[in-house]
Amino acid sequence: MRYVLQKLGFYVAALWAALTLNFLIPRWMPGDPVDIMISKLATRGPVTPSTRHAIELLLGTDSQQPLWQQYIAYLGQIFSGNLGTSVVYFPTPVAKVISQTLPWTIGLIGIATIISFLVGIGLGTLAGWKRGSWLDNVIPVTTMLQSVPYFWLALILLFAFGSVWQVFPLNGGYDVYTTSIGLSWPFISSVLYYGTLPALTIVISSIGGWMLGMRNMMVSTLSEDYILTAEAKGLKPGRIMRTYAARNAVLPSIAGFAISLGFVVAGSIVTEAVFSYPGIGSALLQAVNSNDYALMQGIFLVITLSVLGANLLVDLLYTIIDPRTRARA
Amino acid sequence: MLLFTRRPGRRLAWTAAAVASVAALSLSACSGSDTAGANGASGSAITVFNGATGTITENFNPFSPTALQPTLGVIFESLYWYNLASESEPTPMLATGHEWNEDGTELTITTREGVKWNDGEPFSAADVAFTFNLVNETPELNTTGLAATAEATDENTVVLSFTEQSFMQEPEILGNRGIVPEHIWKDVADPVTEVNSNPVGTGAFKVKSFSAQSYALEKNADYWEEGKPAIDEVRYISLETADAASAALTAGQVDWMSAFLPGLEQLLKDQEDLAYVNTPALTTSIYTCSNAELGCEGPQTDVAVRQAIYHAIDRTQLNKLAGGGFAGEGSPTLLLPERDAKWIVDPEHKVAPQTADTATANKILDDAGWTLGADGIRVKDGQKLALTIQTVTGWSDYISLNDAMRQQLKEVGIDLTPTQLSWNEWNANQTGGTFQLSLDSIGLYASPNPYYPYNQRYHSDNTTPVGESAISGNFARYSNPVVDAAVRAAGSTNDEAEQLAQYAIVQEQIVNDLPYIPIYINSTLTEFNTSRAEGWPTNDDKYAFAASWKAWDNGIILKTITPVTQ
Amino acid sequence: MALTTQDPTIAESESHLPAPSGRTRRRSLPPMTLKLGIGLSIAGAIALFGLIGPYLVGDPSRVDNVGLSAPGGGFLLGTTQTGQDVFAQLAHATRGSLTIGLVVGVLTLVLSTFFGVVGAYVGGVVDESFSLFSNVMLVIPGLPLVIVISSYVPDKSVWLIAFVLALTSWAGSARVLRGFTLSLRNRDYVLASRVSGERSWRILTVEVLPNLIPLLASQVVFAVIFAILGEAGLSFLGLGASGSFTWGTMLYYAQNGLALRLGAWWWFIPPGLMLALFGAALSLINFSIDEIINPKLRSQTRAVRRSWRMSRAQLQSAKESTL
Repeated sequence: MRYVLQKLGFYVAALWAALTLNFLIPRWMPGDPVDIMISKLATRGPVTPSTRHAIELLLGTDSQQPLWQQYIAYLGQIFSGNLGTSVVYFPTPVAKVISQTLPWTIGLIGIATIISFLVGIGLGTLAGWKRGSWLDNVIPVTTMLQSVPYFWLALILLFAFGSVWQVFPLNGGYDVYTTSIGLSWPFISSVLYYGTLPALTIVISSIGGWMLGMRNMMVSTLSEDYILTAEAKGLKPGRIMRTYAARNAVLPSIAGFAISLGFVVAGSIVTEAVFSYPGIGSALLQAVNSNDYALMQGIFLVITLSVLGANLLVDLLYTIIDPRTRARA
Repeated sequence: MLLFTRRPGRRLAWTAAAVASVAALSLSACSGSDTAGANGASGSAITVFNGATGTITENFNPFSPTALQPTLGVIFESLYWYNLASESEPTPMLATGHEWNEDGTELTITTREGVKWNDGEPFSAADVAFTFNLVNETPELNTTGLAATAEATDENTVVLSFTEQSFMQEPEILGNRGIVPEHIWKDVADPVTEVNSNPVGTGAFKVKSFSAQSYALEKNADYWEEGKPAIDEVRYISLETADAASAALTAGQVDWMSAFLPGLEQLLKDQEDLAYVNTPALTTSIYTCSNAELGCEGPQTDVAVRQAIYHAIDRTQLNKLAGGGFAGEGSPTLLLPERDAKWIVDPEHKVAPQTADTATANKILDDAGWTLGADGIRVKDGQKLALTIQTVTGWSDYISLNDAMRQQLKEVGIDLTPTQLSWNEWNANQTGGTFQLSLDSIGLYASPNPYYPYNQRYHSDNTTPVGESAISGNFARYSNPVVDAAVRAAGSTNDEAEQLAQYAIVQEQIVNDLPYIPIYINSTLTEFNTSRAEGWPTNDDKYAFAASWKAWDNGIILKTITPVTQ
Repeated sequence: MALTTQDPTIAESESHLPAPSGRTRRRSLPPMTLKLGIGLSIAGAIALFGLIGPYLVGDPSRVDNVGLSAPGGGFLLGTTQTGQDVFAQLAHATRGSLTIGLVVGVLTLVLSTFFGVVGAYVGGVVDESFSLFSNVMLVIPGLPLVIVISSYVPDKSVWLIAFVLALTSWAGSARVLRGFTLSLRNRDYVLASRVSGERSWRILTVEVLPNLIPLLASQVVFAVIFAILGEAGLSFLGLGASGSFTWGTMLYYAQNGLALRLGAWWWFIPPGLMLALFGAALSLINFSIDEIINPKLRSQTRAVRRSWRMSRAQLQSAKESTL
């Protein structure tokens, strides 16, 4: 119990630190959102001196208030669910921008990560079990795939499968011509079709890590006494592999998996840039480029909450599935 | 560990999931969409990429600076349309005539008859008057500095009354303001944050459907021009990078887009259905912080240095390497030599030298006291002729310009150091004057009249000392009383001959002082797919400024194109 | 993603590392295997290219009217859109990327050792606060932080990018090191040293740190790979040190110049390939280090089994006969 309370206390502290950083960092960036919007407008058409005054009134710059007052207001707004109004997408509220982009990111990257994890763990288990088999040679290959820069691989695959052999679509989240958003089969199948290539690139580039980790842990675990006992008892090899060895070996990978789920949003930026996928990563990039404080803070908050949530989940999950942590605490 | 005892069930779940996902993928691949833009069955449709990246948020409010691009021009229209691609008179749209009074304090506009809003209600002068009054009363919407009240004197006449002489406001009022219906907008609670989901306008198209990834417009059957538009549906999509745009173009998915694609000719080589048009409109120039009196520091405050740079750069090589061969010849008058021919007074100043004139450059520098040092860089009074030029990271053509100019200027003893900054920092430096040289472009105002660039960039009212924000546009800190007087004089008259005389004075000064050193006229490349629609602007017939991101012209083009009959 | 192959909580419950001292310390060095040999030679060759290459090639920024051209005509790897020599750029880019890798490696080493090892060894309040600090740094989103910090500083140099990357990535290593140090702290020989009155810092440097060297090395190699890949990702988004030459910025310009689409493989492929090769070489080195940390891995490879000159059937029967 004390252990759980300690953990919760830490997470509250981390949350507060992250919120404060999220508040401060956008304000440290140079440039004024008003000037930025004006200069961006100037590239598209004529801009006159009175434009600045109009935009200032429009955006309601809050730089007049002292910083600590803004901070208190910010914390209050967070806890009442008001994330402010975006500058880039004025007058759309930040919560709306996030709600229309987040599901795409979580859907694509989340599912791709899960697939990568499951396949990687499976292959790693087999590689560790059949020590010295041909699977062992697959590991250096997949690990090398991990050291290939992700976007380079993605661009090459997109060029090959999108332009040269037109197997997969070139951009977008679903087919905007034939379907619209809704719980219908055409829409769902369209989403799956458009998401296949991005998911594939994510799986290819990240599977190596899971496989390697699992295989190393399997090798360690297989030398344990209880494995020997199980073999001596005459249990089927398959059963030993799954219920005795893999179950113990998978523990650190679960920790890693939960943590990587937390970084799904942050890691989606490059994927969305390459595949023009309508997710939250590209919204973050737009926000950073336009000094859109509210949108940046909103997205940071989402990322921070998901990372912290994932970590908390792992810590609590660990106490359930690994009694040794409970015993130590 | 009771959690994992259901072993057979787990395996079953595994297999079920695997089968389901494989089935889903194969089924979706089978039903895999025809990604072409045209649906022959439902009428002609085209796809436009107007530069939108990321997610799309709904905003069809013509007063909002973040409105979706087709709002101005395709859904809402202005009183007149000014063609910025070639020399022509303003085209009447919702107005058929206008007239100023003697002192320029009253503008009488005659509105078009027989126009209907796309909800069926009739359009009248009252709507025009309402629009301008709304702008005047709401400071947040008044981006053009309108200081006038409007009154509809009868069904088809509106009179705008200004507090002071306002001839130069004409293009903004007539060409850059979308007219909104009074019967809808008088009930709008907050015109500043109104999203205007189902916009009621007079334009050729109206909104059909909207989603965060794409939106579509459909033909307005009540459009005031007979027989137009000919296209039934226009769809807008969002793409992240130029690479994605070029992929979509070559795959035949996009009908109209504007992107500078390096190697465009090669990309289009074997593509019969693709065409492009080049409408150069912005003069890429080196902005210099030129006025030592207002706080500028560095060798570029010496006019001889600026003139030397002007002569020493090899514009042909710059066009080939950075401009892709598509750039137009720039002019030291900062106007477009072809479109603005009538405004360039001295034929000597029409076009900038296209090859490097190192002899002249060297002579200018020698005469000014810059002697060649041992390392090949000139020195004067202990100060080296070393300059930094700032660019935005990501503007690869400007970065290429810097690389090439560095080599070219080395030949005459100038040491150029390019720096790459984030857009925020670059913009802050320019407005604050904390730079020596900066690469940017000039142009694209409400009308081709030189008053706008000369006023914005050269008039001392629009500048501030270094350290303060010169957001009005005279970043070079240029201050010349002769130019100031001439610009003011030109702005106070409606007579083109008189204006020309004043511009002659301005041009004489600025081609000598060169606070902005023109390089070339940056191409504006627009690519078309001619298999589904035809009638796009061509290099021989630039009936509109073809860029897919340009407001107002987009409406003209969309109502001019016709579907290709099979 | 940089994943540790050893979880500290598991490592605590199985202490298999021998305590090196004197003569046996030599066992800390990995035995030369084929994998290690390949890894070291590739990494070494690339490092050499990055070190000496820039002195031997021409000016990478020099533009040429020839424009985009394939290899040949005096250019080993062809030219870019503005006629710049791709091979010369590659040499400078190698140096730039390796600099980033080196800086991040060193900074990660210093920071994670300080916050992980020292904190865990000293124990008590110091340990708790260091652990809290590194946990907080771990949960703060890395990539957005890097984006924001790097957009704050105007003139982005290679050093700044390296510094920012190190700042956002040391926390993971610190956590792993802390776990190991906690387990080491309670070993017999360390307790014995304490009882016999050795000073803390001496125990730290003489008894504890040498045991950690393989793990430290593995973490540093991971950090270097992560740094180089991270810099490439940042450059692709346009947020990297685009004024300098690194593999990432070369790819960025190639991508902007539509190299792949125009068929200019000589511009797009080499930087990515170098990145992949270097990363692969470092991974191979990491494999060998893993075999030190976990000696069981060593005996399981095919190569080792082959050296016994037994077939699978013989191995199987040997195994069965021992049960």
